[in-house]
Amino acid sequence: MSDEFAQFQEAFFEEAAEHLAIVEEGLLALEQHPEDLDLLGKIFRSAHSIKGASGMFGFNAVAQFTHKMETLLDLLRNGHKTVTPQIADLLLKSTDCLKTLIDAAKNGSAVDDETVQRLSTDLATASDIKVKAEAKVETAPLPLTPHPSRCFHIAWTPPAWLFQRGLDPLQTFKELGSLGTLSEVQVDVTKLPELATMDPEACYLSWTMKLETVKGRDIVDAVFEFVHEDSVLVITEEVRGKESGVRGAERPSSTPHPLPLTPHGVEGEPKPLGEILVESGVVTRDALDKALSQQKRVGDILIEQHAATPQQISQALQKQRESAAHAKKGTDTASIRVDTAKIDKLINLVGELVITQSMLNDLGFRFEMCQMPVLLERLAQLERNTREIQERVMGIRMLPIGTAFSRFPRLVRDLSAKAGKKIQLVLSGEETELDKTVIEAIGDPLTHLVRNSADHGLEPPEERLDNNKPELGTIRLNAFHEGGNICITVEDDGRGLNRERILAKAVKQGLIGEADKIADDQIWALIFKPGFSTAEKVTDVSGRGVGMDVVKRNIDALGGTVNIKTELGKGTTFTLRLPLTLAIIEGMTIRVGKETYIVPLLSVVESIQPKIDAIKTVVGKGELINVRGTYLTMVRLYEVFSLQPEFTEPAKAILLILEMEGEQVALMVDEILGQQQVVIKSMEDNFRKVDGVAGATILSDGAVGFILDVRGVLEIARRGALMAA
Amino acid sequence: MAALALDTATKGRNQQSGDATDGSQFLTFQLGDEVYGVDILRVQEIKGYTSVTKIPNQPSYIKGVMNLRGTIVPIIELRAKVGMETVDYTAHTVIVVVVVQDRIMGFVVDSVSDVLNISKQDIQAPPEFGTKVDVSFLNGIAKCGSNLVALLNIDRLLTDGDVRVAAGF
Amino acid sequence: MSKTALVVDDSPTMRQMVAFTLTNAGFTVVEAENGKDAVNKVARGPKMDIVVTDLNMPEMDGITLIKELRKIEVFKFTPILMLTTESTEAKKKAGKEAGATGWIVKPFNPELMLKVIAKVLPV
Repeated sequence: MSDEFAQFQEAFFEEAAEHLAIVEEGLLALEQHPEDLDLLGKIFRSAHSIKGASGMFGFNAVAQFTHKMETLLDLLRNGHKTVTPQIADLLLKSTDCLKTLIDAAKNGSAVDDETVQRLSTDLATASDIKVKAEAKVETAPLPLTPHPSRCFHIAWTPPAWLFQRGLDPLQTFKELGSLGTLSEVQVDVTKLPELATMDPEACYLSWTMKLETVKGRDIVDAVFEFVHEDSVLVITEEVRGKESGVRGAERPSSTPHPLPLTPHGVEGEPKPLGEILVESGVVTRDALDKALSQQKRVGDILIEQHAATPQQISQALQKQRESAAHAKKGTDTASIRVDTAKIDKLINLVGELVITQSMLNDLGFRFEMCQMPVLLERLAQLERNTREIQERVMGIRMLPIGTAFSRFPRLVRDLSAKAGKKIQLVLSGEETELDKTVIEAIGDPLTHLVRNSADHGLEPPEERLDNNKPELGTIRLNAFHEGGNICITVEDDGRGLNRERILAKAVKQGLIGEADKIADDQIWALIFKPGFSTAEKVTDVSGRGVGMDVVKRNIDALGGTVNIKTELGKGTTFTLRLPLTLAIIEGMTIRVGKETYIVPLLSVVESIQPKIDAIKTVVGKGELINVRGTYLTMVRLYEVFSLQPEFTEPAKAILLILEMEGEQVALMVDEILGQQQVVIKSMEDNFRKVDGVAGATILSDGAVGFILDVRGVLEIARRGALMAA
Repeated sequence: MAALALDTATKGRNQQSGDATDGSQFLTFQLGDEVYGVDILRVQEIKGYTSVTKIPNQPSYIKGVMNLRGTIVPIIELRAKVGMETVDYTAHTVIVVVVVQDRIMGFVVDSVSDVLNISKQDIQAPPEFGTKVDVSFLNGIAKCGSNLVALLNIDRLLTDGDVRVAAGF
Repeated sequence: MSKTALVVDDSPTMRQMVAFTLTNAGFTVVEAENGKDAVNKVARGPKMDIVVTDLNMPEMDGITLIKELRKIEVFKFTPILMLTTESTEAKKKAGKEAGATGWIVKPFNPELMLKVIAKVLPV
């Protein structure tokens, strides 16, 4: 591979991933519309792009495999073959295989050679190509012996339209000159017509010349590569005073092996020994292939010679693979492709910022009080600039969520086949943008939810029919923006969560007492407890209750929430509410004593000033507050964080009603200072995780402020309440 | 704000372990009437004391965190950590910002004194007793003219006990 | 004044690599992601010294692009090179009939690409 192109590898892998997604999506759609030629064209082009670019980086396994897919796709595209379910299936499997090949090129991860081989054969068979064993191993090249200087006589009459194809004979002469010594160049002007009848855009000239060069005949031929078929071209070689070997457009058969213009051909690189032996007729192609197939690998030879045991070799090979994988991973940098329009806009904005700054600078040096309105106006301008730049910069990391959705059509197709259910997947809001890291992080939780809906949510067809529901079950994935957040819903029209069964199971597992009165929301939240699964049978799709707790954990880690709405017999909707980015949150700044904290706005429901008689203390549960008839746990932040508050009486303080995991709690603070966006800084970089603190941020006065981890705060409070009890 | 700029501070930091006391430069500072030293290659900068933000529910020697040009840096009250009584801060009170295993931390000392060259021969094993400090926080004692300098093992210091987590192990 | 090149490819990676090679060779490069985009970009724009185009592209493929470009006065004699994966005769023939000057066969490296360009343009 060219080292200069190595810097584009990362871009290639990104692009390849996009093409793979297009191919996969396209193939799935093709199953519904096998006649869609536009679609086939699109799939073909994506495969073609992967093939072309992978070759550029020397990823030959990828290029070869994609070539086989492309061949079949080309036949389908041109109507020489029709899309059958078998072919669609083969192409889908091949896409999976191609993914592993690309991953292997990227990370050095393992590839199942057998699958590659089998699919390659199947693809070739489907394309009606006879398969033949390929020789893989290259033999040692022969050293190059320098050619003696040769002399070629060239007579060239180019076509009249030479110039109209952008060709310039001068370049041809230059190229010939670069091969050796060009002499005796003579131009034949006899075909030039009268000036009046002359077409100024046509070429009427022809030339003869002599070229002395050490280069081979094929190199000289290659100079005329673009024109020889349309020219009258005679190249004769003087050998030992005699001329031999005529080649020209009128006698193309005299060159039985015209060399294509490939890197090898042009560079004159040595051929493998075997190839030369075959060409010179010493051995046959079959004999060569056979010999090559017998060529052994170092490991095998060592084992045969008892120099090493098979175990040692396989360990060493394993090590080799690992280190290859490791080395590649080390260089794996996260990158993102940005639309140039976004960058241009940003550059413009920075330009504006610079102007605003210089205007302020100017104003500052000769400031007089009467200019106050001007100053304020420019400061406002600065604020606008800054805000817009911030938004645009964040926008660079924003990608449409469709990239996270794209895996689901395939997943649902496979799930429905496995579970014997008829399922349609409806996607909407794919264009909704959110931070790249969030997109990457929600893939797994969403997969779990979709699997859960397909496996547990939707009923088998018979059961659906018995319940007067259409046989075809529906899973809907939707995404939309809501405030500063993104909402993603996973909805099914299945059987819904069974309250009684969940309760029974929770009691059995000791999660709740039999007599406990629990709100619906809290019951649904139970399915997120580790090890909790109500599925009667374990399937290989959803597994044994793993998943839902992982979903919850992942979403929590992203600072998001999961909500469940369900109706028995009608279906279930999971709503994920996530921040658009992990770097900035919308926060409410609050004060306790002298300390300032930030509460994620996402979790704030409302703030109230409590009445003193609304609070009661329950042993073992701490304080509860009656908010419009519901008793909520009340947490005094100053107690949890051991602070000196301004107020210790709830009636004087403020209560923030916070929601998490469907549970509401009341957090007692001294004062609400306001609302602002804060940039999240990690506490763990230089310190460690602190209970009750989700992260830190820099406040407007330059001091550090902590972002509250609402659940952590509640846990500390509960521990305290238990100890007090 | 910076009381002292140290060009050498960034050179070769992290490569030195806390035990590396073979003939190098030490930043010395006061705690009470005793002089302590810390390998200068571990020192990133020295800052005048500015107020820090208290971290909830931490041991008393964890003073809090401060904003060091956008980075959140934990600050250790060295007196409290090594078992000395704390005193009120003065104009000389400074924060020595050090790098421990890729993590940045600061510790509060009474004042910084000097940068000393101490050769390996001058360093002795810490005595079993006789200092006001828990000797397990020391790499050794160096004689420097008429003064004794207690060489601090900051890895040990900042990874001891529950601060072990703080240093990220 | 530096020479100008129009690079047309729907694959951003390929486009970047070609543009990179040409930029390093001193060209000012205009990039387009398909034939239609290319025609839009050059229809009233500056004259190009060379065009390097992929063949398989959405919206407008390379062959159509070559035909369209040859209709534009300033592109009448401009060298146009096609990027092809297969050097099949059919592709070359179709390209030549449309007015292509020549072809560059993928995979290539910068050196080889410039060598091919040198066949049609002083570099």
